[in-house]
Order: sequence, then structure tokens, then C-alpha cells
Amino acid sequence: MRTKRITPEERERAFKSLRKPDVEEKQRLHVRYHVEDFDVNDRPRRFLEAFAAILKHSNYRMALEHFIRMSAKCSRCAVSCQVYQATGDLKDIPCYRSELLLSVYRRHFTYGGMLKGRLLGDPGLTDEKIQEMAESFWNCTACRRCSIDCPSGIDHGLITHLGRYILSEIGIAPRALVVSTREQLEGATGNTSAIPVPALTDTLEFLEEDMLEEKQVEIKFPIDVEGSEYVFFPAVSDFLMEAETLMGIAAVFTATGDSWTTGTGYFDGINYGLFYSDRMLERIVKKIDAETRRLKGKKVLIGECGHASRSAKYFLPTYCGGKDAYPVINIMEYTYEVFKNGRLKLDPNIVTEKVAYHDPCNIARQGWIIDKPREILKAFCKNYVEMTPSGSNNICCGGGGGTVSIDEIRPYRTTIGGKLKADQIRRSGCHYLVAPCANCKKQLRELVEDQKIPVEVVGLHDLIYKAIIFDDSLKVKKIPAEAGTGEEGK
Amino acid sequence: MEHLLEFARGPLFRLSFALMVLGLLRILALDLFELYRAYRQAGDKTVPWGKTTLKALEWLVPIRKVFVNRPVYSVFSILFHIGLLLVPIFLYAHVKLWQDDLGLPWLTLSYKWAYGLTLLTIITGLALIVGRIANRTSSFLSRKQDYLWPIALLIPFVTGFICAHLGVGPKAYQALMLIHILAGELIFVLMPFTKIAHCVLMPLSQYVAAVAWKFPPDTDDKVCTTLNKKGEPV
Ligand code: SF4
Ligand code: SF4
Repeated sequence: MRTKRITPEERERAFKSLRKPDVEEKQRLHVRYHVEDFDVNDRPRRFLEAFAAILKHSNYRMALEHFIRMSAKCSRCAVSCQVYQATGDLKDIPCYRSELLLSVYRRHFTYGGMLKGRLLGDPGLTDEKIQEMAESFWNCTACRRCSIDCPSGIDHGLITHLGRYILSEIGIAPRALVVSTREQLEGATGNTSAIPVPALTDTLEFLEEDMLEEKQVEIKFPIDVEGSEYVFFPAVSDFLMEAETLMGIAAVFTATGDSWTTGTGYFDGINYGLFYSDRMLERIVKKIDAETRRLKGKKVLIGECGHASRSAKYFLPTYCGGKDAYPVINIMEYTYEVFKNGRLKLDPNIVTEKVAYHDPCNIARQGWIIDKPREILKAFCKNYVEMTPSGSNNICCGGGGGTVSIDEIRPYRTTIGGKLKADQIRRSGCHYLVAPCANCKKQLRELVEDQKIPVEVVGLHDLIYKAIIFDDSLKVKKIPAEAGTGEEGK
Repeated sequence: MEHLLEFARGPLFRLSFALMVLGLLRILALDLFELYRAYRQAGDKTVPWGKTTLKALEWLVPIRKVFVNRPVYSVFSILFHIGLLLVPIFLYAHVKLWQDDLGLPWLTLSYKWAYGLTLLTIITGLALIVGRIANRTSSFLSRKQDYLWPIALLIPFVTGFICAHLGVGPKAYQALMLIHILAGELIFVLMPFTKIAHCVLMPLSQYVAAVAWKFPPDTDDKVCTTLNKKGEPV
């Protein structure tokens, strides 16, 4: 899928840096994202030390050894990458980006490379190369679309992932991600949005009141219920920004009567470790395990969020007990199951507008969740349209790989990263764009705003909430006074 | 000249062939070993083997992949590879060389097929070189070896074609034959150390990519210890 290249003006806007010149000077780093102060001396040596330590304790060497022998330099991947398609800048070709790190590996960690380097007097890794990696690895959204059509099987998402991990070990990582992760792991609130527990419970109570009023059903957000079937971890930002999605999920559980709970010990599904550091990935995943254990839950339930789902599903077994780890499911899998079994009823006459579905890379690329949400949507949305390409070959929203959380690069995301997606959305002519992922939702909203596309970005459960049909037995006869209009109780 | 030809055809051929086989076996074994070790270390061992195998097959017989990206290049590349594989292995003149020694039965290409396939390989090979130069993205990515390899691979094809199908004098024939054999042997020796190693590694690519995302457990602590970062705040 090709797109019109960006104009020089768009390029200028997209790459405009908000960083102060004196900070850039001091950090000797020219990137578009803010970076906390770090030790700027001796970067190449420290980079190589970190690289060596990571290689020693990981499986990356296997992949790198294979990739350096395989690369065909055929540039098929250039056609797949939404970033290259938008910029047309040769340095955005996935294979070029990966070669940045592969060449460091070849030069410093293979015998042939070391020998050749010595013979040719090649100085090896330099500050300039680190600068280039620091820039390039955050231009990539780690969406892994390019890997599907690489005959050499090179996984550029993996290399971006590793490159960012090594860079973060020498202090080069987007401040936005680091600060949130610090709060999540070491802060008083223990979550990336810094929501204190009282604020959480207040919010949930407030939503319960709202739902009672709207649906005349007592829809609850169970809190700290031990022994529940599902312990719920949404992207914590949903509590602030995606009330409709949460209400939809609560409504589904009310309709089915299955047990679920949110834990006050830890209630954040977000894992920025997946985007910049395996060490953080591990620590965050362990918090999910600990909370599920504390609550004696049976399964981990992740909300509408792609990276949260992927990091829990694939890394809970990695770091927390292999096949004995808690099973992880995404809320859409649950909803699909109960819908198929006839335990969830949806009114097909509510959502009549055109609806399209956006596949979040983190759950669709490897073919995990693709058809289930579509089946649900098609069953109750009269006017469902498909965007192509889709499914495991989908086009990234443009905010993948954690870039959506870096506010200062919004112009980059909405003019370059999301350009292909914007074209696609425009062509679909949809009214509702269903994006079951906290990151995709934020990016797509900014994208359609900046690109002036009249579309409403929603979650799957937002629409379900609109159309859900409750059993008559669940309807309350009389709404309690204090929850009624909200006036009397205040 | 006769002696030289004999030497190239005899001991030198056997040596280079053995080096190729051993070299390729070595990297294949190393790759497989690394793959096995990574899998053993992985905390999560649920690799979708079936799906991965399908993906690997899809690339070995890349019919479904052709028209997705860069279709013209892909078609030429596939035809080139077919020629590269079939001609040296099934050419009557080649087969005869070892069949006399071993006496094993072996399929051979008919004259017409050999003629056609050799020509096809030469044409597609040249087209790939031209395509690489002309295409903005691939010429940007290309290293020296990406141009040298197709040229090197075409030398035995061109010389062989001239010797077999175009009438040349005996002197020229011998010289061309010598180039033919020596070029082939050089290719044998270099194969394991260059990108041509993909001839044995290619089937493993999809498995490598799948297992690469399976990390070993408890690396946070180990990396921290190695880098002297234990107890450091986030
Ligand atoms: S498709 Fe694969 S081999 Fe071809 S240029 Fe891209 S990364 Fe390299
Ligand atoms: S992972 Fe996505 S953004 Fe990154 S190089 Fe590949 S296609 Fe482009």
C-alpha cells in the first residue's frame, strides 16, 4: 500500500524538536523526545558494555547471528513500512535501521568483525552512530509489519526493541516512558497514571451511579474480591479517559454474572518495559503476578489494550513460572466466548452508523485476536466496513512501540507515523472507528484531529455498552434515591 | 593446460566441495545449536511450531509472497534461484563426472532444458544486477558483495554455456573450462562465510524469529549484576 509522500513543510513540522538547544548541547544528543540527564561521557564504551551484558544473559545472540548471515538487502521491507512510505527517506528503510545495530554486533561481537576492524583500522562504534540509533529506533513504531514480507525472516521489531533496551542502559530513553515506569515501580501510587487508590474507588463508584441511571441495572466494579475467576488489569489510563470502555466491560460481566475483580494493590496493565527495557518489562510483569496471587485469582484479564495484552500473555510465562503461570486472556476473548454461548445479548438496532475495526499490532500481528471482535461487531452493527489491509497485515496506527506516550512527538506521529492509517480511515468513510487498545485510541484520536477526519474513535466495549440487552430480572424496580439524579445524595 | 584442468577437476574440486559441505554443515549446526539453547533457556516454551513451519514453507516455496511486494524483482529472483539450483546439480555433464565414480542413479536435464535453464539463469541474474542498481531503495542498501555475488555466480553459467552450446576452438574451450571450474570452486569455498550461507539457513529463519521473542527468566537481576547497577532506582 503506497501513500503520497509528505511535503517539505510537513517534514519540517514533523521533525521540529521541542528540546531546548542548551539541553541538546549538554546531552550531546539531537533527538525529538525529551531525555532525562545522563552521563554523556564515554558513550560508545558504555553502550558496548551494556550490549555485552545483555547478550550474555539473553537469547538475542541467536537472532543476531542468524540475521547478519541472512540479510538479502532486497528492500522488500521498504514497501511494507508506513514510516518509509510516508517520508521516502532512505534512512527509514527497515533494513537500514536494523543494520545500524547489526553492524555494531558484527564489528564488536564476532571474530571476523573484530579481526577486520583491527586490520582496516576501523574505530568501531562512535558517538555519531549512537546518535543515529537514538533517533532511528524511535522513528520506528515496532509494529513488525515489515517482518512479514522479509524473505530473510529479519524481525525489525525485535531489533528496534533490543536497540532501545541497550540505549536505555546508557540513559538514552524517552523521559515520558521512564517517568511513568518509575511511578509504576517505585512511586507512591504504583501505576503509570499516578492514580491513588481513593481516586480509583471514587471513579468506579461514580461510574456505577452513572450506569444505574442509564441502564436501570446495578452494574458493579467489584474491588478486591478474593478468589475471583478474573483479576482485571486495564491500561490504567482507561480509568481517566475511557469510561465508556470500562462501563461496557462491567456491563458484560453483569450480564453474565461471572466473577471478576479489580485489585487495589495493583491495577495497571500498562507495561512500557515492552517498549524500552526488558528489565522493566520483567519487573512490571511480576507485579501482575503478585497481585493475582494476593487476590487468589484464577486468570489474568487484560482490558482493551494491545501492548498490555501482549506483554502479559507472552511474558507472564517467561518471567513468572512458564507453563504454571496464570493464564492471560484479553477482554475481547472473554466477551466473544460469552457472546457465542448466548450469554450476552446485543440489540442490532442501536448502532446504525458505519463502523470499521482497527487491528492493534500487538494482538493482531502474530494472529492472536483478529476475527473475534469482528464477529461480535458484525452481529450487531448493521453497517460494518472492512479496511484493507487488515488482520495480521494491518497498518499500524502510527503510535506503536510506546511512541504515543511521548507527547512532544505528536506532529511526527500524526504526519508520518499515522499517514497510511489516516488514508485508510478516510477511504473507509466510517463514523465509528473501533480501536480496542488504549494506545491506538489516543493516537488515532490525535491523528483524526490533526488530519481533520470526521471520525469517532471508540473501544469495542463502548459500542457494546450502547447495545447491550439486560435480562429483565437484572433491572432494578426503583432507583435508590441517592443514586438517582445524584442531587439528593450530595 | 591439460594438467591444470585435470588438477582443477580432480583434487581441487574434491577439496573445495568438501570445504563447502563442511563449512555449511558447521554454520547450520551452530545455528541449530543456538536455536536449541535459546529454546532451552526460554521461560515460556510455547512456540507455535506448526504455524512457524507453515511460514517457513511459505518462504521456501514463495508463490504466495511474490505479488505482495516488489513483484517483478521477486519473480526474477525466484527464477534465478531455480536455475542456480537445478542446473549445477542436474546437468548431464556434471552428473556424469561423479556418476562414473559412484555409479549412483541420478536424474539429468535434457539438452533442451539445460540450454533454456542456463539462459534463464543468466538473463535473470543480469536483470537482478540491473534492478539492484536501478532501484532506489535496494541500491541504497546494497553492499559490495550484493553486486559481486550475482556476477560471481554467473561466471560458471556463462562459461559453461559458451563451452556447451557455442562452438569455440579447443584452446578457448580449455581456457573457458578452466575459468568455469575455478569460479565454481571459489564459490564453493566462499559460500559458508558469506550471505550465500542462506542456502542452508533460510529454512530456519522463521523458527529463529519465533524463538527470539522467548526470553530467559530473571535477566533483570543478572544484567544489573553484570553492569553494577544493582539497587539503582529506575
Ligand atoms: S526485506 Fe529483509 S532482506 Fe530484504 S531488505 Fe528488508 S530486511 Fe533486508
Ligand atoms: S516495525 Fe513497523 S515502523 Fe518499524 S520498520 Fe518495521 S514496518 Fe516500519
